[in-house]
Amino acid sequence: MTISVATLALGTGLLLMLIGLWGLLAQRNLIRLILGFSLLDTGIHIVMVSIGYVTGGTAPIIDAAVDPAQAVHTVVDPIPSALVLTAIVIGLGITAVMLSFAIRIHDRKKTLSIEDCTESKG
Amino acid sequence: MNQFWDPINLVIVALAAGFLLPLVARIGKEVARSLFYLVILYQALLPLVWLGWLSDGAPPAEVFTAGIAPPFAINLLMGLHEAFFVASVNLIGLLGGWYLRERLLDSPVGMSLFVVLTMGVDGIVMTRDLFNLFIFIEISGIATYGLLALEDNGKSLAAGFKYIIATTLASSFFLVGVLVMYHLTGTLNLDQMYGAASSISGPVGIAAMTLVAAGLVIELKPYPANGWGLDVYETSNPGVAAMISVGVSAGALFALYKALPLLVPFHTALAAVGGATFLVSNLMGLQQNHARRLLGYSSIGQMGLVLFALIALGQLDGDPEKIAFIVAGLFLNHLLAKSGLFWLAGSVGRDKLKDWANLRDHPTLLLTFGFLLAALIGLPPFPGFWAKWELLMALAAGDMPFWIAVVLIGSLLEAVYLFRWFGHCLHGEEGTPVLREPVTTSLYPVYLCVVGLFAAGHWAADHLGLDATWTLLPVYIALALTLLDWLPGRIKAIVVLIIASVYAWHIAPGLEGLQGLFGLMLLGGGILLTIASFYREDHRVGYFPLLAMLLLSMGALLEADSGLQFFVAWEFITVASYLLVALGKDSKPHTLIYLIFSLGSAYLILGGLALAYGNTGSGGLADLSLVTNPMSAWVLGLLAAGFLVKTGALGLHVWLPGAYSEAPDDFSALLSAVVGKAAVFGLLLAALSLGLKGGANHWVMVALGWLGLLTALWGALMALFQEDMKRLLAYSSMGQVGYVVTAIATADHLGWTAAAYLAVNHLLFKGLLFLAVAGVILRTGTRLMYRTGGLIQNMPITFTAALIGIFAISGVPPMTGFGGKWLLLNALIEKGWYWQAGLAFFASAVAFLYLFRLIHTIFLGQRKREHKDLKEAPWALLIPQLVLIGMIVAFSAYPLWLIQPLADLMANFLPQTITWEGTVMKTHLGYWDGFMVINIVGALFLLPFLLLLYLSRFMHIQKVKQFNIVFAAERPETPETTHYAYGFYRFYERALGDLVKPRATAFWNGVSEWSHTLGGTLRGLYTGNGQTYALYVVMYLAVLYLSIRGTI
Repeated sequence: MTISVATLALGTGLLLMLIGLWGLLAQRNLIRLILGFSLLDTGIHIVMVSIGYVTGGTAPIIDAAVDPAQAVHTVVDPIPSALVLTAIVIGLGITAVMLSFAIRIHDRKKTLSIEDCTESKG
Repeated sequence: MNQFWDPINLVIVALAAGFLLPLVARIGKEVARSLFYLVILYQALLPLVWLGWLSDGAPPAEVFTAGIAPPFAINLLMGLHEAFFVASVNLIGLLGGWYLRERLLDSPVGMSLFVVLTMGVDGIVMTRDLFNLFIFIEISGIATYGLLALEDNGKSLAAGFKYIIATTLASSFFLVGVLVMYHLTGTLNLDQMYGAASSISGPVGIAAMTLVAAGLVIELKPYPANGWGLDVYETSNPGVAAMISVGVSAGALFALYKALPLLVPFHTALAAVGGATFLVSNLMGLQQNHARRLLGYSSIGQMGLVLFALIALGQLDGDPEKIAFIVAGLFLNHLLAKSGLFWLAGSVGRDKLKDWANLRDHPTLLLTFGFLLAALIGLPPFPGFWAKWELLMALAAGDMPFWIAVVLIGSLLEAVYLFRWFGHCLHGEEGTPVLREPVTTSLYPVYLCVVGLFAAGHWAADHLGLDATWTLLPVYIALALTLLDWLPGRIKAIVVLIIASVYAWHIAPGLEGLQGLFGLMLLGGGILLTIASFYREDHRVGYFPLLAMLLLSMGALLEADSGLQFFVAWEFITVASYLLVALGKDSKPHTLIYLIFSLGSAYLILGGLALAYGNTGSGGLADLSLVTNPMSAWVLGLLAAGFLVKTGALGLHVWLPGAYSEAPDDFSALLSAVVGKAAVFGLLLAALSLGLKGGANHWVMVALGWLGLLTALWGALMALFQEDMKRLLAYSSMGQVGYVVTAIATADHLGWTAAAYLAVNHLLFKGLLFLAVAGVILRTGTRLMYRTGGLIQNMPITFTAALIGIFAISGVPPMTGFGGKWLLLNALIEKGWYWQAGLAFFASAVAFLYLFRLIHTIFLGQRKREHKDLKEAPWALLIPQLVLIGMIVAFSAYPLWLIQPLADLMANFLPQTITWEGTVMKTHLGYWDGFMVINIVGALFLLPFLLLLYLSRFMHIQKVKQFNIVFAAERPETPETTHYAYGFYRFYERALGDLVKPRATAFWNGVSEWSHTLGGTLRGLYTGNGQTYALYVVMYLAVLYLSIRGTI
């Protein structure tokens, strides 16, 4: 049995997502939480790419080398790859915002534990 | 389409401004600020222009971002719905920018984030591409995160971090779901995906739908995955909180709205999520005492309601225009009211609800606050009211009584905590520091919200086919009079009398039959008792506008043709009388309970009207009788229960003694004698349309009959043991109206004649007695009967009035009371209700005891030394009393003047049972000649009177004076215990005391405690830990998935 690249990528992506989710839910340190989010995000990106991948496919440039009628099956879907770029940028932005929050929380409260962030509740 | 108004500019301009603002700020802060204002003004104007064009019938505009049609490029749509949402959000952005300007002045980045946040929401609303939707969600998200950091303290930052975790998790779900959907359908364009929705199926499709549904619904902060939202509402800058509560939520709602066609299997679950969130948030709000967190609970609840309405109505396949009206109404109402409240909360700057006391030193603020709360609760004339009405009617038509109950209970709970808050402001508390003067300029956005609410409400009323100006006249008159509130009290009283008289004159020709009778009672009686308000010289701020509103809305109640008109008038009566009671000096502990029961009553009536509408498809009051069995028993039961709350039926009466006794003294007369009759009118109306049907309706009427009599008996028993004269009269009112209820329950001609007669009579004597007592309280300064005594010498006219009043209550000849009892007993016996007749007889004997106490302890016995120089009550109080005495005497001597028109009136509905021969009235059981009786009894009285006169003149009689009595064994701490008038009926109390233990109060206290505890327990889910919240978010996904597994 051979595992295709797409399946492998999908599996890896999902695994990364789960690890990230676990980090978000189980770690107490804000920085580790942010790392968890990054892993989750990266996992999603890999899943996105794998969804558009066509095994053995070629670059999505419709020229003489590609039969337009067969293009759907022979060419890698370019849209997920394009989307991933945007998603990466957004993920980066969010990570940056989260880190700046973590720094400010540390400045004000001298702690990085999420368990110390429970002033408002109920 | 002009280039200047191209919808894409919303994105372009905001992005450009977002980059430019921090740069321009380097040139000068003034420049940056001007740019900021220009941009938010443009953001607000553009969608408004489009709203105008589109509602004039212009076609929706599609914007192709890359100049090519989808799917090769992203397209935006500006249709009517989009324009409405974008316009609403951007208007709040404009007002919010204005409100926040002090805060944003020093922060160019803040301005830039604010502009971008608005743009993000606009994009969410307009885009037709799913991935682009994700981008806009993230843009508005990141802008929000940035704004959250404006409040730079540990608490706010911590809350912000939790918010980020939860929302990024949600948008991650959404992103993955969208990708899978793309994989299955091959497109990201929404319209193409709608066409290919059938290919989103199978396990992968379901998973995608679950991810998208959870991702979007979590942005709406559903229960229980919403603790992070509450924390942010509590700790962030109020201007930002307002924007999250209305702007960001609007985006989330619209995103879900667009995704709905892709999520068909989830519709029921999502509607349930909305309904449950509305109910549970309001339940949990009960235990909350932090102002902005409370607003957070309310926000979450309101958005839940909008979500519920949107999906449930869609499932019912209702008229899309109607759904749009309901959703837009609820949404706009929340938008304006909630942002206004958040801004107000920010300006007041007090976190604890109790610290809002003394807001009453700022009348404008108090009024504004009141309007916003009323709008939020969904009281007329605000848009939320009309939308909720239509929502309930649609739910009834769709046969969803369970959800009607959920909406009504949730609304009631919300009213409880919001009006408790209002109560703190209204009454204040000892020792609360005076509110610091709020910055008045920053409140203009709040005032504009109020103006917007009034305008939208007016428009909505018009839209529903009502004559909005006429329907809302009571409010408008009250508003106009508020502007004149600086005038002296007596001048305002004259103005109110003129307005009410003109109004009554104007509507009188249209009122006939039952409405005509009650028109005389409610408007005639109301105007007569208003004369009494001349007795006070002070300004009485707020009293007269509310009085005018009350009188006018009672007229509107009678004029109503449709259930909607009736209910609007009913709500106006409720609000006006609540506020009037609240003007009483010591009314604080009683006003909230009065309002809760009044609103409870209103919601029962609303439920009844909705079920009737669902059954007949008609909203006309006259069509109530078309409701078919067995639904008609439910309608009758709900309507009767609603009206019984207001008549103070046993078990539902706990609000009554406090409200009647703590209201301003002259208003107590009006409240008991006149306003209470509005409920009698309603009950008669319900009985008339539904009480004559057989089946279960019959048993509802039988139950009503028993309840009325038990109320009469217990009212009398409880009146027996009161020391406070107004409380005694309050319990007496409860008992006397009990007879009216029983009379209505007989559902035959004699009984209804008796009911109308008893109601008129109660108006006459209770108005008389409350006014007499008002004079006594004015002169002696006390309401405790044992502190008075012997006042006959000082206040002979008041004494006479009380005497006549008491004669008129008690069922002995010769006064009007006898006629009432005679008719009632006749009716009960003819009906075969012998037990009830016996009970009625017994109850009226008890009534006699407390009446004796009233007159004996106040006017007879010994006078207190300090009361030696008291004067008679002022003429303003005496004149209405003299008029009432005149009417009682006239109706006593010539009962046919009253009974004949009433009997003829009731003969329109049921076969006549009363015949006349001269002054003699005959029923099947006997006859009564009122004129003869009064002569005989008069003669009987005259003889002993002459004898006594002779004895006191010519025999040696010494009056017992205070110093003739030896005081012994006095208890220094409680001297009143040795007074004869204290515990007057102690011996009965020893025998019967067990019967009158406050069981009903204990029961309702139990209900209250139970709800508070339940709310408190549910709140325990909000541990404050961000990871727990994240876990809820993840679990939401699982629960949502499991909830539909069975259905596929």
